[in-house]
Amino acid sequence: MADDGENSVDNRATDDSKPEKMFTLKKWNAVAMWSWDVECDICAICRVQVMDSCLRCQAENKRDVLGRQDCVVVWGECNHSFHHCCMSLWVKQNNRCPLCQQEWSIQRMGK
Amino acid sequence: MSAAKKYRPMDTTELNDTENIAACLKKGDSSNPITTTTTTTATTTNRSAFAAQNMNSAASTNGERLPNFSMLGPHHGNDIRAASTTSNLLNRMGAIHNTKPGDVKKIVIKNFKAKPTLPDNYSEDTYVKLEEAVLAIQLSKPIKYSLEELYQAVVNMCSHKMDAQLYAKLKELTEQHVKRNIKLKELTGGSMDKLVLLEKINNWWLSFCQQMIMIRSIFLYMDRTYVLQNSLIHSIWDMGLDLFRIHFAQNSVVQKRTVDGLLTLIEKERQGATVDRGLLKSLVRMLCDLQIYSSAFEEKFLDATNQLYKAESQRKMQELEVPEYLQHVSKRLAEENERLLHYLDSSTKHPLIYNVEKELLAEHLTTILQKGLDSLLEDNRLNDLTLLYGLLSRVKNGTSELCGNFNGYIKKKGRTIVIDPEKDKSMVQDLLDFKDKMDVIVRNCFEHNEKFTNSLREAFEFFINQRANKPAELIAKYVDMKLRSGNKGTTDEELEKTLDKIMVLFRFIHGKDVFEAFYKKDLAKRLLVGKSASVDSEKSMLSKLKQECGGGFTSKLEGMFKDMELSRDVNLAFRGHALSNDRDVTNLDLTVSILTMGYWPTYTPTEVTMPPQFINPQQIFNKFYLEKHSGRKLQWQPTLGNCVLRASFDAGPKELLVSLFQGLVLLLFNDKPMLSYEEILAATSIEDGELRRTLQSLACGRARVITKTPKGRDIEDKDQFDFNNEFINKLFRIKINQIQMKETNEEQKATEERVFQDRQYQIDAAIVRIMKMRKTLSHNLLITELFNQLTFPVKPADLKKRIESLIDRDYMERDKDNQNQYNYVA
Repeated sequence: MADDGENSVDNRATDDSKPEKMFTLKKWNAVAMWSWDVECDICAICRVQVMDSCLRCQAENKRDVLGRQDCVVVWGECNHSFHHCCMSLWVKQNNRCPLCQQEWSIQRMGK
Repeated sequence: MSAAKKYRPMDTTELNDTENIAACLKKGDSSNPITTTTTTTATTTNRSAFAAQNMNSAASTNGERLPNFSMLGPHHGNDIRAASTTSNLLNRMGAIHNTKPGDVKKIVIKNFKAKPTLPDNYSEDTYVKLEEAVLAIQLSKPIKYSLEELYQAVVNMCSHKMDAQLYAKLKELTEQHVKRNIKLKELTGGSMDKLVLLEKINNWWLSFCQQMIMIRSIFLYMDRTYVLQNSLIHSIWDMGLDLFRIHFAQNSVVQKRTVDGLLTLIEKERQGATVDRGLLKSLVRMLCDLQIYSSAFEEKFLDATNQLYKAESQRKMQELEVPEYLQHVSKRLAEENERLLHYLDSSTKHPLIYNVEKELLAEHLTTILQKGLDSLLEDNRLNDLTLLYGLLSRVKNGTSELCGNFNGYIKKKGRTIVIDPEKDKSMVQDLLDFKDKMDVIVRNCFEHNEKFTNSLREAFEFFINQRANKPAELIAKYVDMKLRSGNKGTTDEELEKTLDKIMVLFRFIHGKDVFEAFYKKDLAKRLLVGKSASVDSEKSMLSKLKQECGGGFTSKLEGMFKDMELSRDVNLAFRGHALSNDRDVTNLDLTVSILTMGYWPTYTPTEVTMPPQFINPQQIFNKFYLEKHSGRKLQWQPTLGNCVLRASFDAGPKELLVSLFQGLVLLLFNDKPMLSYEEILAATSIEDGELRRTLQSLACGRARVITKTPKGRDIEDKDQFDFNNEFINKLFRIKINQIQMKETNEEQKATEERVFQDRQYQIDAAIVRIMKMRKTLSHNLLITELFNQLTFPVKPADLKKRIESLIDRDYMERDKDNQNQYNYVA
């Protein structure tokens, strides 16, 4: 207890003499998770999470040069999202969004 | 010698003929003068002898050294040839002599005018003579006549067609002799000591053999002519044996006494006494020669053997420990083999060894194994185990019984390692050691027998799954411990070996998903904290897992490594971007690990309040990243980050390696040197329990950079904290460890929970897959198929629940007519 008291006195003393901050941040190793910015995280065509590759790609175990699985997400103008692989097969049959039946046109693609 | 040289060009057959003739000649010359005068009848033999004799002078004048055949000469059968070549030879000799003038001789051969006859009483005299001789031989007395003379007498008798009578006479004499001897033994045998009796019989037999050899030599001519021509008649030797056998075998008393005597001797030897092996061997040979070995001796011998060993094995099993007993058996077998080698007939080998093995081993198989195997295995007695295997492989079912018990031992012992939660800490190491030990035993003691290897594998698989999930978890933890840095003292090769061994255990685990979950969690920790001992070892472990479980199992783990590599590139690009845009981030060294959601374990997202020195660079990075990768969103994980703080204490500046939470708390002290718990909680909004642990690590750990009032291990709501300016540490960089003791249990539960959740999805998927293929299926068949497809252990009750759930969700329905039948609903 006596120790503590002394400490606190000391602290104040140094505080006064040193305007310099007691702690400065030098380096930060942060961790972040990325995922597709989608409203529904399941591809309506193959029923697999969009974060995973579509079924077809999982079976073939396709990889791009970087080793990432080459199965990106595609967004339509209607804001619905699917695996690009699944959608490119779908539009061959029917050029409409499987969810809202609007004409399909690509708004953006994940990369 | 010159003449001999001149003979050289002659071909060898002719030379041989010369020798043949010479042999005849020599014999004729030296045996008896009567031969030439009385036996020169028209028989072929004698003609040749005669011719040869005529040649005598010619040959000797040439100074030819004739080979001296002391043998009785294999001349009959060659006779005609010899006779015909003689004339050739003579002609040629004549020619040779012709070259030397003055040596000319003319040889004329004429027939005898009258046929020679024997003296009247010749046959009677000869009979008497031969009889006397035979009797003398049989009674071991000196023979009056020379052997030459006797032989010649036999030849003459045979030549004059008296061979049949002579044979009968000889047979009669032999029979009398045999009878006489047997009687003698019988009379004296009553009170005689067995050994003395055996010796007597042996002597008698040996001398009988010698006598028969002698007699045969004298009667050889008869043996070669009369006996050979009559296939029904035994040779003299066989006749002798025959008579001996008839009288010996018929005389059961003698026979019995002999065999009993032999058995007594053998038993004595088995009890360790030294006996006359020569005597035994000789007598056994006698039985063999008389062809009564198997009928009179072998059976009784085997009986006696069985009885002896039956009693002995029962006694010894009680008295001795198993290893000693095995030594004893091995000694016994060696002795019996030696016995076979030394005096028994080789035909006995198989039944004898078989019987010994049966009595000593096969009968006690279960007792030996039950009583001894466990302790042998436990004490790792390799030599005894080798011996055990060697012995048991000789008896029927020996190795399979051994294998079964071996299996049982492993299961029992393994269960004790696995089942006890107290021993969880050392379980994996114990398992590895146990496996090593058993491997050595199978390899060195059990000749690497495939049956044992398989059984070993089966037993391990059985017991390791006796306790669900825990072994898988502990194996994953063990690998983590090995792969984590700070595990010094092991080289890469050793580590590699350990990993290989771990893989062997891993192969036995049924619930591989449990392993994967824990492995993944630990791998994430190693990668994020940079604690991995060696990238090569990590990769090698990954490739092992891939080989074992396929790419699907490891694709996410591989993804984690890829994320780390990609993050490195992103960070490089970010640094370049920051420099070129001259933003105010250069004074902070920010490194971000970007993880792909789904590859990594799921971390519960938490929100904390961060000061601007964190928020600003974070936002800059966010912008930079999302520009580069459209369509993505980033979720920051404050629980996983760490940072380096520069701190200035009285004793000098220090660098502190702390977690993000620790850093956030410490930075608060810049504004206010003394803070209460509530203040800190409000300022950081770190989750309560987490904050308490963080404060504990800073104020109560090894490096106390802040002080707590009042003192104590636990953090209370009203506690006050202030900056410890007097902090002293000899190191410049100090790592302040986080406290996570309490968390491990929760973490563990969470990981298990996640595994079970995943399993439910897998069960659902499997049910739907099967039903989609089959359309309709009975309950039992569905369950069976599920068990085949699922790679982890499940209880039928759980499956039933999943089926119910799928029926509720309209994936399938119960058949209307049959409650036990399911229909797939498309």
